[in-house]
Amino acid sequence: MLTCKELVARSSDLLDGELSFRERMAVRRHLMLCRNCRRFIKQMKLTQAVIRHMPESQGSDLDDLAAFLAQQRRDNP
Amino acid sequence: MGLPADVDLLPRLLAGEQGAFRELIGAYQGAMRAVAYAIVGQRYADEVVQDAWLAVVRNLSGFQGRSSLKTWLLTIVANTARSRLRQNRREVLLDDLPAPHGSVGDARFAEDGHWAATVPAWHEDTPEALLTEDELRECLEKTLLSLSDLQRSVVLLRERQGLELEDICNLLEISLSNVRVLLHRGRLKLFATLEHFEETGQC
Ligand SMILES: [Zn+2]
Repeated sequence: MLTCKELVARSSDLLDGELSFRERMAVRRHLMLCRNCRRFIKQMKLTQAVIRHMPESQGSDLDDLAAFLAQQRRDNP
Repeated sequence: MGLPADVDLLPRLLAGEQGAFRELIGAYQGAMRAVAYAIVGQRYADEVVQDAWLAVVRNLSGFQGRSSLKTWLLTIVANTARSRLRQNRREVLLDDLPAPHGSVGDARFAEDGHWAATVPAWHEDTPEALLTEDELRECLEKTLLSLSDLQRSVVLLRERQGLELEDICNLLEISLSNVRVLLHRGRLKLFATLEHFEETGQC
């Protein structure tokens, strides 16, 4: 059976759907029996969601850039 | 996340409508910046993104719609960055820089490969709830900054921009296995930061 350490090593591949059928089954079996790993995977997913939700620092000059690019486009259709 | 649909946006872009460019920039500049970062590093990234925008405008009439606008933009920025780079390619560094809170390392596991101690449960279980703490946001930023340019870009392109792994390895010209390693280690560091914060309430 897969150890927790091995499961952690494969966790990203699990999240990305990069596991083979056999590996997926092994992971699923492990998760059924192991509360720590279930928690770990759940919190890895939460970490992903947090990164997704973090405000992205946009340049403050978005409008200037948009105006400039639109002008460029109109000048060179 | 509401990305503008290409079919709506394209005619307006072609007409030179400022609002359409505003939407385009808002939706994709983050991903473009991440690609530029990965290839030329922080120092030249902004320049590369600006050059790429000019190339986008110049080539807009020739956009065939065979790929999505997003893919097209990212390819242009990757090409712009690469021609900017010219010199020998930077090696993919798989050596990690230390993150503020480490990672999920061997020390967390017993001899038999099982967790040595219980994985602590977090108090909050939604991203919104977690992100209400300014200090945590800053702490995560710090962890992101501790990653190499390439690793940070891989993490952001995957997690924030939702790119496929294959697209990331094509754009950045690194192997799929490198992408997987970079992404996994980056995620574990971010996880460790969150876990540490949940446990101690501090960065
Ligand atoms: Zn386990």
